[in-house]
Amino acid sequence: MSKPSDLVQGTLDMLLLKILALQPMNGFAISQRLRQVSGDVLQVSDGSLYPALHKLENEGWIKAEWKTTDNNRRAKFYSLTRLGRRQLEKEAENWSRLAAAISSVVKLEET
Amino acid sequence: MRAANWIHTLPMKLRALFERRRVESELDEELRYHIQCRTEENAANGMSANEARREALIAMGGIEKAKEECRDQRGLSFLESAWQDLRIAARGLLMRPGFATVTILTLALGIGACTAVFSVVDRVLFRSLPYPQDEQLVSFGVKAPFEGIEFMLAPEYNVLRTQPGPFQSMTSLTPGGADCDLTEQNPMRLSCALVESTFLSTLGIRPVVGRDFTRDDDQPKAPRVALISYGLWRARFGGDPKAVGKFLSLDDKPVEVIGVLPASFEMPTLSAADVLLTQALDESAFDRNHPRVVLRAFARLKPSMAIPQATAALQPWYQDSLRFVPPQFRAEVSLRVRSLRDRQIEDSRVGAWVLLGAVIAVLLLACTNVANLLLVRAVGRQRELAVRAALGASRGRLIQQTLTESLLLALLGGAAGCALAYLLLRLFVSIAPEGIVRLQQASLDLRVLGFCVGISLLSGILFGVVPAFTRPVPESLAGKTVRTMARGFFRYALVAGQIAGSVILLTGAGLLLRSLWRMENVPMGLEAQRVMSAQISLATHRYPDLPQQFAFYHDLEARLSRVPGLEQVAFSNSLPPSGGMQATFLASIEVAGKPKFSEGTGGMVGYRSVTPNYFPALGIHIIRGRAFTKQDRAGTESPVILSEALAAKLFPNEDPLGKTMRYTAGDAPGPWRIVVGVAANVKNNGLTSDADPEFYVPWKNEPGTYIRRAFLTFRTSLSPATVAPWVRTEIAALDPTVPVQIATMSERVSKLTQRPRFDATLLSLFAGIGVVLAALGLYGVVSFFVSQRTQEIGVRMALGATPRNIAKLVLRNVAGWTLGGAALGILGAWFCARLLQSLLFEVKAHDPTLLVTALLILLGVALIAAWIPARRATRVDPVVALRYE
Repeated sequence: MSKPSDLVQGTLDMLLLKILALQPMNGFAISQRLRQVSGDVLQVSDGSLYPALHKLENEGWIKAEWKTTDNNRRAKFYSLTRLGRRQLEKEAENWSRLAAAISSVVKLEET
Repeated sequence: MRAANWIHTLPMKLRALFERRRVESELDEELRYHIQCRTEENAANGMSANEARREALIAMGGIEKAKEECRDQRGLSFLESAWQDLRIAARGLLMRPGFATVTILTLALGIGACTAVFSVVDRVLFRSLPYPQDEQLVSFGVKAPFEGIEFMLAPEYNVLRTQPGPFQSMTSLTPGGADCDLTEQNPMRLSCALVESTFLSTLGIRPVVGRDFTRDDDQPKAPRVALISYGLWRARFGGDPKAVGKFLSLDDKPVEVIGVLPASFEMPTLSAADVLLTQALDESAFDRNHPRVVLRAFARLKPSMAIPQATAALQPWYQDSLRFVPPQFRAEVSLRVRSLRDRQIEDSRVGAWVLLGAVIAVLLLACTNVANLLLVRAVGRQRELAVRAALGASRGRLIQQTLTESLLLALLGGAAGCALAYLLLRLFVSIAPEGIVRLQQASLDLRVLGFCVGISLLSGILFGVVPAFTRPVPESLAGKTVRTMARGFFRYALVAGQIAGSVILLTGAGLLLRSLWRMENVPMGLEAQRVMSAQISLATHRYPDLPQQFAFYHDLEARLSRVPGLEQVAFSNSLPPSGGMQATFLASIEVAGKPKFSEGTGGMVGYRSVTPNYFPALGIHIIRGRAFTKQDRAGTESPVILSEALAAKLFPNEDPLGKTMRYTAGDAPGPWRIVVGVAANVKNNGLTSDADPEFYVPWKNEPGTYIRRAFLTFRTSLSPATVAPWVRTEIAALDPTVPVQIATMSERVSKLTQRPRFDATLLSLFAGIGVVLAALGLYGVVSFFVSQRTQEIGVRMALGATPRNIAKLVLRNVAGWTLGGAALGILGAWFCARLLQSLLFEVKAHDPTLLVTALLILLGVALIAAWIPARRATRVDPVVALRYE
């Protein structure tokens, strides 16, 4: 499957929400931004990006509208909804709790 | 899916549902844009144009695949899948038009008939009367053999009034009310009711405008005041509140309007009333030794007082009042207290329950049929469901899909049922006799419709979904039909139940039809062919006394004798075969030279004033002696003609001719009368009751004669439509204000059978529906049996079974259940027939011939329904059958 194996399940959703929280973007721009911010660590194939976006839209966390891009082409722009913002907060919180837990477990093994 | 999200994403889902193409093209455009951008990026990184595009596509991993995954992510929304199911269901039904049509028809018949009948019956049996706390209202009085409805003598009523015992309040009205004429610029005949001042307050009704009667209004010398109906208020005063205080001229006397009745007001007797007037009874009416005023009494029970208690509480008063009843009456009268509803629906009650029972049976038949059809269909779908399950459809999804189909069927059936209910109700109202209480107000009852649709939905859902719950058997994947014995048993039991129900319905309908036939062919003692009659009633204020009334009829007779085509023009003050003639008791008739008849009242004896032409006009035979002559109308002699029955009672084993008799009408005995003839008996009490003995007196001015209302009767060979206007013209030429009702004798007679005809028609209709449903059910089950066992039949035939053997195999299977159902039906019919007894005329409820006929009809239909598929089984080609599955 095209899901990146090294991407923790559910993380992609959070990443996408986080990216869109900054500004509305179209799909291509999102994929560029993903590469850029994660420094190629998180490889998200183009093929798996769109299903993820559609899923978020289906959940009601992001919404889409057609706009023209800087170079004057029509593209579908996604932006965060109120529900999405709440979801992001929740997931971010979960994430930091999980991360803290994991890192403490990791530390435990080292000592 | 969480509720909050659901609201936010609904617009998107609806778009996905209804703008599928647009959503698809947007997805396409979105991905194309991405490929384009990626291609440009790759090109900018130095790839060749082709290379750049190829890389971009590879990165995407295939556009179609990405699209598919996007669609998957969106998932099928509930709406979308519902829509999909709906289309599948509709396609499925269209593929089996027979199944769909039969199911929808069955549902429509069940729902339609049930809703229509219940809408009618509801008004009669269940809906509350238009009075507050209507369950407290009772009608009470003395029940006597000569009067179907309880009545009160004014003096006794007056006694009770001072000690109302179990009643909060009581009131009375004068029976029959009174025709009264509005004699103003536009004369109008109105219905006036004479009531006690407590009338409205007892019923719990207040005038919408103005005031109620007070006790003072009810005094004999009080100025006359009136409450007018809402309709009259609108028609006469345009709904002006200032109408109160204005005067109406009723029968040339001024009457002050003091109030207006509510629009929904109806008399407890259900008779029409445009104006309520006070009775204003004087002291003489309350003389216990000379009762002369009869009242209808109503009362409101004290709270928590039930009718039996109230009856018991009235006993002392009743026993006391018996002292004033002539001794010969005492044994024949009784006290009756009954609810107002019972009084109103008296003769509608049994009919209404019978209809209700019949229609519920039809609804049950329809439901079992639907259940059966769906079960059969479900077995046919085992394979389809197994395939779907194997392809990954979840249990829930399968249930949703089957449910959709059942619901679609039920909704279509429900819609057809609504339409049918509407049509049936219109039909009922148009064929219904006048006597059915409140039928005109009956409208489709939405609650009932909901109930019936609900029942059928429920049966549809229940039996439609059951198969989806059972785990699909893997064998069915192979195309093998899996036989489930348990459900087979159930199906046959359903069919047996249907057959039983149909036998009951058929027997009931047969009984009613037979009774109707008897009624229509009962010998009436008169010839109705080519006889027409006109009912005339003269207004009191224009024709106050007998001489003026006789003068009117005399002039009319002279005019009509000049009209061509009318023969045997006759007048009488009543007309058979309906009741309503003047009457006295046998005990009040004296025969010269004989002791008075003294045991009890001796029963009722009717009498009529008739002109000489009365006998030839109605074709009543004079058996002995002669009919009246012209001289009898003028002379001083007082001849009388007896009916055969009366002659036998008064002069057993004697020749009555030349004997003298007299009767007492009112206070003093009438003149001695010489018997000049004996006439054949005529039905004079309706068609179903036994005829009362009667006698005829000549049409002439004698004390006690009543001719304010009279019937004109004549023979004609012309069509009624031609003659009627001529008669109207002649009457109008004399007095245009006289109301006339013209009808042929046949119409008058058939009016008497209207009610039984209505009951019989409806019950036959339902029985017919029931038989059709049972036949459909049987047909379905047998066809299913055959189709399921095609292979077995093939094997048997290959092994040498003859078509005869095969038919036997199929029919034997059905026969047991059919006979079982029929036996059950006979048992049920035996019990149900008793309930019909009171509706029957000269027919015994337990009529073996009828039962056998019903049974034969049903078995015949069952045989045909089973034979068609059985024949199909015998035509099975063994080679095809062996390869069948």
